[in-house]
Amino acid sequence: MSDIKLTYAQLLETNNLIQQNADETYWLCATRTVQESKIFPVSAYILFSYLNCFYRYPSLLKKIEEAMPAEEIGDRARQSGIKIVAWTIPCFYLLGREMLINWGVIKPTDAVHDVMYVMDFWKRFQLSWHRNNGNITNRQADHRGQIYAEQKLQVFHADAFECREGDELHTAAQAFMATIAQYGFLVSCESRLTIHNHGPYKIADNREMLVREFRELAEYDYPWLDGVGRDIPYNNLTVTMIIEDCHINLLDDWGSFESEPELRAEHIKAVGLYSADNLSEGHVPVGMGSREELTETFNDLTERIKVATTRLWEEMAGWTRDQQLDAGALVYFGVGKEFAHIAGVYDEEDWMRIDERAERFRPLLNDEYGNLFLGELVGYISCPSQRMHEYTMMMHTGQPRRALSYFPYSMLNDGDYTESVGGMRPGVTNLPAKNDRYRTSQGVLTQEEYNRRSREFVPRSCQEPFRFLCADWVKYHYDTPLADELFGFEQANSRLLKGKGAGLSRADVEALRNKD
Amino acid sequence: MAKLFVDTDKYGYQSDFPIVEAYNAAVKDLVRERFAQSGQDWKDFVFGTEYETITKADMEAIEARLLAYGYRFEPSAMSSPRERPEAYKDSGLYAEDFSFEHPEAPTAPADADGRELRGCGDNVVTHRENLVGTARYVRTTDKVLECLTQGVADDTIAIVDDSGGTLTAPVLEKFHGVLCAGGTTRSHLAILTREYNIPCFMNVRLAGIKDGDRIEVEVSARGKTAEDYEQGRDASARVWRLSRTDAG
Repeated sequence: MSDIKLTYAQLLETNNLIQQNADETYWLCATRTVQESKIFPVSAYILFSYLNCFYRYPSLLKKIEEAMPAEEIGDRARQSGIKIVAWTIPCFYLLGREMLINWGVIKPTDAVHDVMYVMDFWKRFQLSWHRNNGNITNRQADHRGQIYAEQKLQVFHADAFECREGDELHTAAQAFMATIAQYGFLVSCESRLTIHNHGPYKIADNREMLVREFRELAEYDYPWLDGVGRDIPYNNLTVTMIIEDCHINLLDDWGSFESEPELRAEHIKAVGLYSADNLSEGHVPVGMGSREELTETFNDLTERIKVATTRLWEEMAGWTRDQQLDAGALVYFGVGKEFAHIAGVYDEEDWMRIDERAERFRPLLNDEYGNLFLGELVGYISCPSQRMHEYTMMMHTGQPRRALSYFPYSMLNDGDYTESVGGMRPGVTNLPAKNDRYRTSQGVLTQEEYNRRSREFVPRSCQEPFRFLCADWVKYHYDTPLADELFGFEQANSRLLKGKGAGLSRADVEALRNKD
Repeated sequence: MAKLFVDTDKYGYQSDFPIVEAYNAAVKDLVRERFAQSGQDWKDFVFGTEYETITKADMEAIEARLLAYGYRFEPSAMSSPRERPEAYKDSGLYAEDFSFEHPEAPTAPADADGRELRGCGDNVVTHRENLVGTARYVRTTDKVLECLTQGVADDTIAIVDDSGGTLTAPVLEKFHGVLCAGGTTRSHLAILTREYNIPCFMNVRLAGIKDGDRIEVEVSARGKTAEDYEQGRDASARVWRLSRTDAG
């Protein structure tokens, strides 16, 4: 765990990390449109989640780092994917701070060590998650998310089955992606936190690959998937999608993308399907033995997800507003819980509860106040704390505003600050009790057993001496047995690349596909 | 009364929206009062005594004071006015014989083909031909449940005002087309109709289209792009009424 001291240099860095997120907060919220739902009080639960993050993240992230450092969690995430954490972790937390500043409940000089620590944790995780491209966010890469290593991408490329609009596989894949996206919005209470895309990855002059990850689909952390998700055999599913004559020109830190021209069914030319979690050796193929098997697998999963969608909708439509508020807030707040699973320290009491310090503000969160206060915080950037002197020109708008408050450097003179919100406090929930069932790649486990296995399991590519064998090492050592062994981990379940080693070029992979 | 750190602010003004200002000012008043009562330094109060002295009951009292003035909140979730009709305005979702009557909806008399212009919207994806079907308002969970239990007619063009992906989740794929009175072509509903290949207009402005009317939707028009929104370009496509049905 990093040992952070309050120094001038540290404050300079923390304020910079805050500002990086502030600029992107406005851009994302202004360009991605508002979320609304007749079922969920969306803005109200978003505000509720911000408060929960502010009070709980410092303790929970420290608990996680006692078991595994943030940068090592990033290594694991690069093996098996993770939910969108790039923007969410710092911004949910910092927007909670911003709310409390505008209420006068805290000063901008309060909880200094907490904020420095949360931002530092985020920085180290992000640098590790982005290790293969050297950036800290997709934004820094001009909105591109190239996360995975060559050895994984070669397998995705090689094993994807060609398809054309109107054929059985294409039709099945399209229906599956529509159905799972629909289910994802419902599971995540109208948010997009089930769905995470990254890429694009270059496949040919006129082809790119988009990796679409759908996470938390089965019985797992959310109490509302108990029973509903029992017949869904995978908690996470990854669709690899190769597109032609369509360029993904933007993939942001919310994991959503835009393309030129607009992506349509006819652009999809090859697909694959995988599942991965923190207990698997990377991405394991699902129904990838043949084109027919993959078509059947997509169709089977589509039917299962449709049944689950109807059951879940019926359940959610009958929820009380407090239950809706809790569920939505916990989905947002819970983006950090995958860290706890990876580290093997997940506790339902930590992640599926509203902290009593946030809970006391629940009566404020009616629909109208929720919509308008959230609008001021992330859209208009018009809260008093966000207004700056008249010479200021904010990125994107030129307005004299900023989305997130800095720390005043005067703290270094007068010592007028506080360090932390303090430790964990009890939490509450209006949702039904969670069954002790967690769907993983190693079967349905209890929370205790899942944590035990998470603490023991280390993917081979994250073990010594492979952990630090990066793309730059491969570049100069691809002809060594160690490189073959490294590539062999990803190739172990590959239809076309098993045992092919580290020496293949992209053209070699394409040639193997053409022979298949 | 104690003075708060944020009470001295060279650049800060009031919030843009009166209810936000009213609520935030009320919470600040409460903090001033409890901080003064504590007699403590801020360092001892914040994250300490403050947790015990600023309570949920205080927040309920803030709301109660606003409601006592006769204020009623605008609802967005159906559960809000259903559970607390005394605190929220009527959502209007259950109004009989409802139709959208947007003042900015373009209208024109019937053309040579008998089509009356009755609105416009942002096309999500360009399709080869315009869409013709029967308009059905789907604005509540009860209506979605009705669709689930009684089925959806093949030519149903659903008119909704929720741009999210949850309200219509179990029935969306059954619709022939969708007209949504909110959102943009990037909204969750737009994403889903694109995935399902269901013709869809977002941000529709309609006038005079009733449940059961036959309508034509210009989904052969150009889709509205992110660039169109960013540059404020109007790329509206049209909605026509073909005939009026009294069946409702």
